[in-house]
Amino acid sequence: MSELSISELSKELRGAIESLETKGNLDEVGIVLRVGDGVAWIHGLRSAGYSEVIEIETEDGITEAFALNLLEDEIGAVLLGEDSTVKAGQTVRLKGSVLSVPVGPELLGRVVNPLGQPLDGGPAIKTKQQGLVERNAPGVMDRKSVHEPLMTGIVAIDAMFPIGRGQRELIIGDRQTGKTAIAIDTMINQAKQDTGVINVYVAIGQKSSKVARLVERLKQEGVMEQTIIVATSPSDPASLLYLAPYAATAMGEYFRDNSKHALMIYDDLTKHAVAYRQMSLLLRRPPGREAYPGDVFYLHSRLLERSAKLSDALGAGSLTALPIIETQAGDISAYIPTNVISITDGQIFLETDLFYQGIRPAISAGLSVSRVGGAAQTGAVKSVSSHLKLGLSQFRELASFTQFGSDLDDATKKQIERGQRLTELLKQHQYQPMAIWQQVVSIASVTNGYFDGVAVAKIKDAQSATLSKIWKDHKKDMETLETGAKPTEEILKTIETVAKAAAKGFEA
Amino acid sequence: MARKLSRRALALHVATHLVDGKPQKKIAQQLAAYLIWTRRTKELSLIVRDIQFYLAEHGHIAGTVSSAHELSAATLKEIAAFAKAKTGAKYVSLDTAIDESLIGGIKLEVPGYELDSTIARQLTTLKTRYKKA
Repeated sequence: MSELSISELSKELRGAIESLETKGNLDEVGIVLRVGDGVAWIHGLRSAGYSEVIEIETEDGITEAFALNLLEDEIGAVLLGEDSTVKAGQTVRLKGSVLSVPVGPELLGRVVNPLGQPLDGGPAIKTKQQGLVERNAPGVMDRKSVHEPLMTGIVAIDAMFPIGRGQRELIIGDRQTGKTAIAIDTMINQAKQDTGVINVYVAIGQKSSKVARLVERLKQEGVMEQTIIVATSPSDPASLLYLAPYAATAMGEYFRDNSKHALMIYDDLTKHAVAYRQMSLLLRRPPGREAYPGDVFYLHSRLLERSAKLSDALGAGSLTALPIIETQAGDISAYIPTNVISITDGQIFLETDLFYQGIRPAISAGLSVSRVGGAAQTGAVKSVSSHLKLGLSQFRELASFTQFGSDLDDATKKQIERGQRLTELLKQHQYQPMAIWQQVVSIASVTNGYFDGVAVAKIKDAQSATLSKIWKDHKKDMETLETGAKPTEEILKTIETVAKAAAKGFEA
Repeated sequence: MARKLSRRALALHVATHLVDGKPQKKIAQQLAAYLIWTRRTKELSLIVRDIQFYLAEHGHIAGTVSSAHELSAATLKEIAAFAKAKTGAKYVSLDTAIDESLIGGIKLEVPGYELDSTIARQLTTLKTRYKKA
C-alpha cells in the first residue's frame, strides 16, 4: 500500500514539475502599493480585465485576488484569502483567466467553500469541468415558459403559491420566522418524492454550527447525496461571501445545462448585499441609499436571471431559485427587499405574528404570491385548491371580528369556522413534507366541508386518520393521484366517503 | 494650486520629452518641482516605474537581471538579445544583481514585465499548488 502511494506521489510530482517549467515568456507584472481590510491596491498590470484573477506572490505562497476597480493609476483587487501575508511591494501577476470553480456530479454530497475547496474533511474534489463564476444568463430564445411543478411538500405553498421549475420565488420574513425551514423542507421533499432535482444550498455568512446541523439533518433524511452545500461563515472575508452565490450558481448551471433540474437556495441575500456593500465601501465606490453602491440591484438581478427553464433545443434543463431575504420588523419596503421582490417571480412572506400564534409555516396569504407557478401546478392539487387563497385571505380579514361572534350572520360565521379549520389544516411540522395525494385528500376534506363537524383542535388528527385509512383501502387511487392527474369523480367520491367516516371520530 | 495630474499623464509627459531629446536635467528639475508643489514626492518611485514603461514603449528598455550566482558575459548577452526580441525594443540596458535566495535560474525584470525562471519561484508555485489540494 505504502509503495503504491509513494510511486503515485512521485509521478504526480514529476507531472507538476513538468507543467511548471518556464515557457520563456515575459509575464505582465505589477506591485502591491498598499493593502488592508481584504483589499489590495496594485500598480501596473495595465491589461488587467474586470473580475480577472491576479496572483500575489507572498512569503507563504501565492494568494489570489480579483480585480474590481480598474482606475487610471492603480487597480483595486479583493483578496480571496487572508490579507495578513500580503505586503506592500510584493509582485503581482495576471492569471489570465476570470474566476472559475469546479463543477460536476463529483460535488454532490460535499460541503465546499466558494472556491470549490472541500470543507467537510473529505478528499480533494477532482472534477472534469470548471464553470465560470460570472456568466451571462440564458437569452430569450434559449428559454421556455415555466410549466413543470417543483413540489415543496408544504401544503400551503403547493396549493396557494405553486412553484415551477425555472422559477425564482423569494422567501422573505423577519428573523426566526421559518424561512430556512421552508427551504430545507423543499430540499427534503426532492429526495422523498424522488424528483431527481439536485439541491444547491448556499450559506452566505451563516454560522458554521448552523451549517453543521443542516448537513447532519440532510444526511439523516437521505438528501445529502443529491445536495451540494456552498458554505461561508461570518468570519470569512467579504470577498468569499460575495462570491458564494455566483460560484454555487455555476455549480447548479452544470446540471441545468446537462438536461437536469437543480434547485438553488440562497440563504440569505441580505447578508450578500451587506458583504458587497462592505467591499464597495473599501474600494471607495460612492455610497448610495443605505450606503449600498449604485449597482446593488444588478448584483442580484444578474445572479437570479441565471435561473431559468431552458428550451427543448438546449436540453430542457432547469434551475429554480429560492432566494431568502431577512426583513427588519416586517418591513418589506426596505431597499434590498423591494429590489429582490421586483426581480423574482413571486414571494412567500412569513409573518412573525402568525409564527407566534403557532401557525407554522407562518405564510401570509395576503402578501404572498406566485406569478408564474400557476401554469406549473399539478392538475390534482389545482382541482381542489382553486379558491383556497381567497378563502384564507378573507378569513384572516374576518378573524378580527370573531370576538363579536353573536352579531355575525350565519354565512360569515360559517366562513370563519371553515377558515379556522383550513388554518389548522395548513399547519405542518418541519421535516414532514407531504406527497401530492396527501395534499389533495387533506385540502378536499376541508374545502368540501367534510370536516365541518370536526373540532378545530382535532383537525390534524382527523386528517391523519383520513390519510391512513385512504392509503390502506384505496392505495391504487392514491397512486393515480400521485402522478399529478386531476382526480376523477370516483376518486373524489372515495375521498368524501373516507373523510366523512374519519371525521365522525373527532366531532366537536 | 496646480491641477493634479495622474501618474500616468505625468510619466507620459516626461517620457515623451526624453525621447524627443529634451535635456534630462531640465525635465528632472521640472518634475521634482511639480511633485514638491503638489506634495506628491512619495509617488516618485511609482512615477519612475511609469516613465520606464513609456520609454519601453518607445523602444528604450532599462531592466535588471537577478541570479543566485554571477552570470557570464555570454549569458548576459543572450539575455539582452532575448529581451530585445521579446519586447521589440531598439535599446536594451540591463543591470545585474546577485540574490542567493533565488537558489538557481534567472529573473529578468523589464518595465511592466518579468521572466522568472528561478528555482525559488518554482518552489513557491509548487507550495501553493499542494496547499490548495
